[in-house]
Amino acid sequence: MKAARIFVVLMFMFMMMTACNAAPAAAEPNSPGSVTEVSGSDSATTSPDAAAGTPEICSTDAHGCAVFKPGDVVKIGMGAPMTGGDASYGFDISQGGTIAVQDSGEFEGFKFVLVVEDDGGTAEGGAAVANKFASDPALVAVAGHIYSGATSAAIPIYEKAGIVMLSPSASLPTLTTLGSAVFNRIVFTDARQGPPAAEYLFNKLNVRKLAVLHDGSDYGKGLAETVAAKFTELGGEVVITEAITKGETDYTPVLSAVAAKNPESVYFGGYTAEGAVIVNQMKQTGLENAIFFGDDGTYGADFLSRTGANGEGAFATIAPIPADSPEKAAFDAAYLEQFGKEAGTLSPYTWNGYDSVSALIAAVKSVAVVGNDGNLYVPRGALISAVRNLTDFHGISGTYTCDAVGECNTLPPTFVMVKDGAWVPAP
Amino acid sequence: MKKTYFQPIQIGFIFGAVNVFLVLIGFNAMVASLLAKALGEQVLTALPPFPYLAAFTILLGLWCGIAAARKSSRARIAGNVLAGWLSGLAAGSVTFVFCVGIGWLLSNKIDIRNYLTVLSFDFINGVLMGLPPLVGALANLGILAAAGAVGGLLYGFIQSSKVKQINQPILALTCSTTEKLKRLDHGRRRLAFQILGVAIAGAVVIFLPLNWGSYWNYVAGTVGLYVILGLGLNLIVGLSGQLVLGYIAFFAIGAYTMALLNSPLPYNLMWGFWPALVLGVIFAALAGLLLGLPLMRLRGDYLAIVTLGFGEIIRILLKSDVLTDFSGGPRGIQNISGPTLFGRPFNSDIDFMYLIAISVALAAFVYNRLQHSRPGRAWLSIREDETAARACGVNTTRYKLLALALGAAFAGLAGAIYASRNQFTGPEEHSLMASINVLSLIIVGGLGNIPGTILGAFALKGLPEILREFSNYRLLTFGALLVVMMLSRPEGLIPSKRPKYKTPQEADGRNAEEKNVS
Amino acid sequence: MNETLPISIARKGANVLKYLRPVFGAVILIFIIYRLIQTLLIQEIFGPETWTRLVIAGMIIGSVYALIAIGYTLVYGILFMINFAHGEVMMLGAYTCFFVFEALKNIKVGADHSLAFSNAYPVISIIIAFILGMSVSALTGFLLEKVAYRPLRQAPRLVPLISAIGASIFLQNAAQLLFSPQLRDVANPQILARGSGWKFLINGSSVTIPYTGVFTFLLSLILLVSLYLIVQKTKFGRAMRAVALDKKTASLMGIDVDKTISLTFLISGALAGAAGVMWGLHNSMVYYFTGFVPGIKAFTAAVLGGIGNLPGAMLGGLFLGIIESVGPAALGIDFQLKDVIAFLLLIVVLTFRPSGLLGEVLAKEKV
Repeated sequence: MKAARIFVVLMFMFMMMTACNAAPAAAEPNSPGSVTEVSGSDSATTSPDAAAGTPEICSTDAHGCAVFKPGDVVKIGMGAPMTGGDASYGFDISQGGTIAVQDSGEFEGFKFVLVVEDDGGTAEGGAAVANKFASDPALVAVAGHIYSGATSAAIPIYEKAGIVMLSPSASLPTLTTLGSAVFNRIVFTDARQGPPAAEYLFNKLNVRKLAVLHDGSDYGKGLAETVAAKFTELGGEVVITEAITKGETDYTPVLSAVAAKNPESVYFGGYTAEGAVIVNQMKQTGLENAIFFGDDGTYGADFLSRTGANGEGAFATIAPIPADSPEKAAFDAAYLEQFGKEAGTLSPYTWNGYDSVSALIAAVKSVAVVGNDGNLYVPRGALISAVRNLTDFHGISGTYTCDAVGECNTLPPTFVMVKDGAWVPAP
Repeated sequence: MKKTYFQPIQIGFIFGAVNVFLVLIGFNAMVASLLAKALGEQVLTALPPFPYLAAFTILLGLWCGIAAARKSSRARIAGNVLAGWLSGLAAGSVTFVFCVGIGWLLSNKIDIRNYLTVLSFDFINGVLMGLPPLVGALANLGILAAAGAVGGLLYGFIQSSKVKQINQPILALTCSTTEKLKRLDHGRRRLAFQILGVAIAGAVVIFLPLNWGSYWNYVAGTVGLYVILGLGLNLIVGLSGQLVLGYIAFFAIGAYTMALLNSPLPYNLMWGFWPALVLGVIFAALAGLLLGLPLMRLRGDYLAIVTLGFGEIIRILLKSDVLTDFSGGPRGIQNISGPTLFGRPFNSDIDFMYLIAISVALAAFVYNRLQHSRPGRAWLSIREDETAARACGVNTTRYKLLALALGAAFAGLAGAIYASRNQFTGPEEHSLMASINVLSLIIVGGLGNIPGTILGAFALKGLPEILREFSNYRLLTFGALLVVMMLSRPEGLIPSKRPKYKTPQEADGRNAEEKNVS
Repeated sequence: MNETLPISIARKGANVLKYLRPVFGAVILIFIIYRLIQTLLIQEIFGPETWTRLVIAGMIIGSVYALIAIGYTLVYGILFMINFAHGEVMMLGAYTCFFVFEALKNIKVGADHSLAFSNAYPVISIIIAFILGMSVSALTGFLLEKVAYRPLRQAPRLVPLISAIGASIFLQNAAQLLFSPQLRDVANPQILARGSGWKFLINGSSVTIPYTGVFTFLLSLILLVSLYLIVQKTKFGRAMRAVALDKKTASLMGIDVDKTISLTFLISGALAGAAGVMWGLHNSMVYYFTGFVPGIKAFTAAVLGGIGNLPGAMLGGLFLGIIESVGPAALGIDFQLKDVIAFLLLIVVLTFRPSGLLGEVLAKEKV
C-alpha cells in the first residue's frame, strides 16, 4: 500500500517536472569553447551551418558564445524581490531597467529584453533564479541581484555558467572581496561614503557627540559601523549606537533613549522609509536640535514629501551626479509616463537600475559580433572582461569606472542637505 | 421557480466581481501573455494584443457558464444554456459598469495609477479592446454573455447521455485498473510491487539529475530538503500532536553550524562538511531538548505561539548587533565550502541532488521505523488523548521531548545541507514564513504520512517554481491554491490512515471476513 | 531493556524537569532585578522624561495591539482557530483610511475652493474614515469566513489554519498588485497632524503626548469596553458565549450558529478595521505588509492574556506594548532586541501560567 502510494507520488512528480522541463531541457550551456544555439523551437543542437559562420572569437573564448538567430531577442536577467515585504525595491529597480532597455534600442536588428524573476530577496530564491537564468542560453548578463543575500547565493552559479553580473544595489562588502570574476556593482558602498561622512560631521559641522543608528540591514549596519569607527578615530565621541527594526513606524522608544544621551547629531544608515519616520519623530522625542545625517539610501524626493518641514536641515551623502542632467529629467518623465508614479517614490535605486541595465547592454553591444551567417554571437568571456573594464560610463546617477575587483562606483561622495524643501549641495 | 433564475444570476455577479478584481490587478494581461506565448507569438511589451485579452474574458465567461449550469443541475440542454446565459449576462453587466467607469477615465484622461497601479491608458484601451468606451463595455458584456451560454451548452452536452455513453468504457477501465492496483497491494504480489516501485524510484533518482539541468536539480533539491523538514515536523505535529510554529529555528541552527565550521569568515575553522553535518544535527536536537524542557506543560496553541516566539528570537538574535561577531549579523555567512567525498570535491548540483536523495531516503526510513516503534505508539496515544495516555502509564513529557528533539534533528540535517548547497546563510532565510511553509506542506500533503509529505513538499516548494510563468502573480495564485486545496481536500492530498491495532480476536474475525470475501 | 538510548536520555531530562522550572524562574528573576538595579539606581542612564516618553509610546502601540488581539480572541473563543489572515483584514482597514483621506483632501470646499474637506470638517472626515474602514474590514472578515473557513468547520483543527494562511498570502499579494508596493502616507487632517500634541516639560526637556496617540488610546478603550458590554449583556453576546461553549447544544436551544459565527467575524473584522484606521492616522505608513507584524504581535498579546478571554486580550496588548518600549531601556539591552524581550516574557509567563495571564474564559474545553 505504502509502496504503491510512494510510487504514484514519484511518478506524478516526475511527470510534472518533465512537463515543465520541456522548454529549458536543452540547456546546460557554456562548456568552454562550445557554441549554444538559441531558438524558440526545439532545434537547439548546433547545426553544421551555424558552426561554419561562427566567428573566431567563440572558439577561443573561455565561456563560449551565445548565439542568436535573426529575430531572436537578447535577454538581460534581473533577480529581484517582486513579492514579500521588500517588493517595492524589485518593482522599482526593474521598472528603471525596463526603461533602460527601451532607451538602448537594437543592435544590428537584435532586440534586447529584460527578464525579471522573483527571488524574494533570499538566498534560496536567489539560487533558484540564478539556476534558471544559467540554464537559459539566450541570457547573457544579469543586472542584479538586488539584495545581498540573494546575490551571495547566486554568484557561484553565475561563475560556473560564465554570466556577468552588475548589481544596482547589493552593497555587502565581502561580495567583491571574495575574488569573483563575474560580479560587479554600481551601488555606492559603505567604504566610499562612510568615512567622508564622518569627516564632514567632525570638521564641517563641528559635531563632537554623535549618535549612530542603523536599520539592522547589511547595508545600513555596515555604513553605521564605518562612520562610527572613523568618527572615533577623528577624536569625536559616539555616545550611543542603536539598531532599529526595519519596517516599523514607531521609533519613539529608541529615539527617546538616544535623546537621553544629548547627541549633537544623529547619523542614520538605512533607507528612506525608516529615515523619514526617524526625522519626523526626532521632533517629538527631545532631539529637536540634533542634525539628521543620512546616506544615499535616505536621499531622494520621497524623503522630502514624507518629512515636510521636519526634514529641513537634514544632510545626506550621495554618489557624485551631474546635478540635474537632461538624461535624468528625460528618465524621470518617462518613468512617470509609463508607471504613473514619480521616480524614486518606491525605492532610492530606480536610477541605479537604469544605469546597471544600460551599462550591461552597452557592454554587450561592444563585444557582440554578427557572423557571416547573419547570426549574432555574444562571447561570454569577453563580456565578463568588458564589464570589469567599464571606464567612464556616464549614467544618470553617476559616472562609473570599475576597478579590479568589480567596484564601479569609486568616486568620493558629494554632500547634500535639505533647504527650503529641496535637496541642495551642502556648503 | 425563483431559484431557477436567481442562482445563476448570483453566480454571475460573483464571477463579474472576480473578473473586475482580476482586471484591476492585471491578471488578464498576464494570462493573455501566456496564451500568446503558448501560441508561439513573441510578447515583448507588457500588454499582449487585444484578441488574447478577449480570450481571457471568453475563458472566464465559459467557466462562469459551466459553474452556473452545474449548480442549476437542469436535465435538458436548453435549461443549461439558459442558466449559463443568465450568469454570463450578470457577470457581463458587472463588467459593463466597470468598463464604463474606466472608459470614462480614459476619455477624460484621468490618470489614477497612483492608486490603482495597473490602470494605464494603454491597459484600459486593451480591456476595451481598442473600441470607444461604451462600445468596448458592450463588447465585454456581449462576450461574457455569449461565453456563458456556450459554457452552459458545453456542460449540458457533457452531461447528456451520448457523452456519458462514450465515457462509460473509459470510466470502467479506470475503475478496474484502480481495483487491480488495490488488489496488488495485498498478498504475495505486494512484495513484487514494492520492489518494482523502489526500482523505478531509484532509477528516476539516479538518472534524472544527470539530465534535467541545474535549475530543476536545484528545485528538486529544495523540494527534497523540505521533505526532510516536513518529516521532522511530522514527528512533532503529525505523530505526537504538538503544534510547533517556530520549527525553522532548528533548521537555522543546523545551517549556522555548517556555516560557522566551514567558511573563511569569521573563524576560518574549515572542519569539513561531514563533521559539521553531524554536529549540526546534534546541536539542533539539543536545542529541541532545551526548548522542550520548560515548555512541555503547554498544550495546543500555547505551545504554537511559544515556539513561534522561539523561532523569532533565534532569527532576531542572529541578526542583531550583539551576535554580529559570532554569526555575521545581517550579512550572514558567505563562501561556505561544499562537501568532499574520498578527497574529491562533491559539490556540483548533481552531487547535491544525490546527497539530498540519500538524506531523504534516510529520513523516510528513520521516520517509518519510529512510526511503528514503541515511541511511535506512545506519540499516537498522546496525540489522541494526552490525559488518557498519561493514565495508561505513558510518560507523556518524556515522549513529547523525544519527538521535539528528533524532529529538530531532522531540521538540523536539512539546514546543514541547505547552507552548504547555497554556500550562504543569513538570518532572513529563517523567517517565520519559512516555518509556516513547512507546516503548510505537511498539512496540504496529509498529516503524518510519508507520501503525503513528499507530495506536500512538491506542492509547496515545487509549485511556486512552476508558477514562475505567472511572474508577479505567483504568490497570489499560490495563496488561492492553498485555500482551494484545503477546501477540496481537508484531510490533505494523501490522507493518513489511522494505524489499526487489533486485539487477537478482532484480528481473527477480520481474517475470516477477508477469506469469505475472496 | 527495550528502551533506546534517546529515550533514556529523555527520561533523565524529564526527571530534571521537576526542579528545572523553579531554577529557571529564579535565574530570570535575578537577572531582571540585577539589570533593573543597574539601569535605574546605579547608572541612572535615563531621566524621568525618557521614561515618560517610553511609557506613552508603549501605551499607544499597546492599545492598537489590544484592539487587534480582541479579534483573534473572539474568533479563537468560538472556533478554536487562529485566524491568521486577521492582520491582513487590519491592513485593508488601513488602506481604506489612506484612500478616504486622499479623496477628502482632494475635495475642495470653502469660499475660494482652497480648503480641503478633511481640514474644513475634520470630525466628519474622521468619522467617515472609521465607518468606511470598519465596513471594509468587517466585510472582508465576513467573506473570509464564508469562503475559506465555513466549509472547514468539521475538518481537523489545523486545516482552517492553513486555509487562513493561504488567505493571508492571497490578501497581501492582492493588495500589493492592486495598490502597488509603494509606502503610503495618510494625509491627516490638521487637527490630528502627526507629531503635534500637548507638550510639557519634565527635567527641562519637552515631552510630547501626540494627539493621534491620545485619540488612538481613548478610542481603543471605548471600543473594547463596548465590546465587552455587548458580549456580557446583550442577547447576541449570550448567543456568542453559548456557541463558544457548545455549538450543538446552542443550536438545539434555538441559536443560529452560522449566523452567530458570521456576526463574530463581522465584529472582529470591524475592530481590526478600526485598528487599521488608527494605524493609518497615528503611524501613517500604510502598505500591503502593514498587517503582518502587528498581526503576529497581537496574536502574541492574545495568548499572553489568555486566549479566548476579552479582558485578557486587552491586558495582554497593553502589557506587550509597554514591555516592548520600556523593556529594552529598563534592562539596558539594545532596542533591536525588543521582540526578543517580548517573546522571552511570553515564554516565561506561559511557563508559570500555562493558559495566559488571566486564563481562558470564553470557553472551557478545547479540542
